[in-house]
Amino acid sequence: MKVEIAALNHTFFTPQPRPALLNLDLHIPSGQFAAIIGPSGCGKSTLLRLIAGLLQPTSGSILLDGKTPAEANAARQVAWLAQSPALLPWLTVEGNIALARKLLATRLNHQMSVQQALQRVGLENAARAYPFTLSGGMQQRLALARLLIQNAGLWLMDEPFAALDEITREQLAAMLLDLWQPAQPTVLWVTHNIYEALRLAERVIVLSPAPGQMVADFSVALPHPRREDTPAFQNLLYEVRTALNQAVEAAA
Amino acid sequence: MKKPQPGGGQIAVLIVLFFLLVWEAAVSLSQIPVYLLPAPSRILQTLFEHPQLYAQASLLTLGEAFAGLLIGLLAGVLIASLLTLMPGLEEGVMTLAILLKSTPLVAIAPLLTIWLGFGILPKIIITALLTFFPVLVNVLSGLQKAENHHLELFHSWHASRGEVFRYLRAPNALPYLFAALKISAPLALIGAVVAEWTGASGGLGRVMWLAYTNLNLPFLFAAIFILAAAGMSLYRLTVWLERRIIFWQSHPEP
Repeated sequence: MKVEIAALNHTFFTPQPRPALLNLDLHIPSGQFAAIIGPSGCGKSTLLRLIAGLLQPTSGSILLDGKTPAEANAARQVAWLAQSPALLPWLTVEGNIALARKLLATRLNHQMSVQQALQRVGLENAARAYPFTLSGGMQQRLALARLLIQNAGLWLMDEPFAALDEITREQLAAMLLDLWQPAQPTVLWVTHNIYEALRLAERVIVLSPAPGQMVADFSVALPHPRREDTPAFQNLLYEVRTALNQAVEAAA
Repeated sequence: MKKPQPGGGQIAVLIVLFFLLVWEAAVSLSQIPVYLLPAPSRILQTLFEHPQLYAQASLLTLGEAFAGLLIGLLAGVLIASLLTLMPGLEEGVMTLAILLKSTPLVAIAPLLTIWLGFGILPKIIITALLTFFPVLVNVLSGLQKAENHHLELFHSWHASRGEVFRYLRAPNALPYLFAALKISAPLALIGAVVAEWTGASGGLGRVMWLAYTNLNLPFLFAAIFILAAAGMSLYRLTVWLERRIIFWQSHPEP
């Protein structure tokens, strides 16, 4: 799914209006895995919420394959994963996936079973367990399986692994890449971890502190699996970090 | 699942036993006349001398309490569900519910007895009125308090309002329903007894009223003992059910 964002502005009209996004233009081609990185409070999450149709922009336009966010949402074409796995505690592991499958049944055009989805994330042996008995990493894997079964054209991910420890985070990032490879949906992945962004994404977009503006746009043309000890990786790491630091300093 | 405090139940039983012993000792030492305060032993004696009378009265009162509680429960859940699906109605309906709630029950009960007679119907209505409000308020807040991250998930599925209600809000409200039951179950007994007090052909309230007008305090206290035991049992039953049904509670939110 192609994402076209033009002159996007968003202001929160709290007693003191707080601009969150300023004049954002962004074009993500279909199938691209893009990371959005920026200091906290730069409007990354707001951007994802606008695309998901959870918020209405103050001005500007968002088109998803030519459709408005509301239309794309109605077609169940936009999948959502946040920092909280948002599992339903009264349902088992397979129950959580089965519910997603059931509520999405009208548009599922593929035949992935609950069991297959669980196998893809290595949870087939925990099917009857309840979410509260799982570790944080397993819970987020379950959320990934649920995301997968939606078969959406766009994955919106708001720091999905931020609450996990480093090793689990790396495992899940690798798993995310594996899950993304076959169908290659468009991914907009918000993170504040530069290293993680460079490990996974084809493109890294850097936003300034609030109100968020695009300050840099890097293409990461490195083959997978990526090694961080190569000069190319280290160069990019340095460039992204410099861009981010400059944006923060400029705003200060 | 959170374990009960070790010995919590035993401590409660010990305190009650200790209280009864002090009571017994105080009565026999100070020789308080039985028409003012009977000793616990005398009360239990009365209870066991009239097993059939108390069994019949208890059965009737508990039956009324259960029926009223069931109706109050159903009405509360139904109206809370309706208000969740049609939020526009909330303010109006809640105003009416609070109006009903603030009308003193002791004023309505005799009226219902005058209109509907000495049978069980006015008792069930009073009990239902009394138990309905805690259920309505608690369940409504449970239905409305779905977590944001869950609501966002259902939004991303483009789930209908009915689907959100059935698969998210309703299970989410179950713990609140049990919180309400813990208040409403003992209230149901009070409702039934107070209604019987205003005129009845049977039941523990009737027994109490007769004993009271005859200054037969052992009779009165025997009924009170039964009510206390029944209230406690109802509460324990609610907690037992809650532990089984809301098994996911007292675990950190996934």
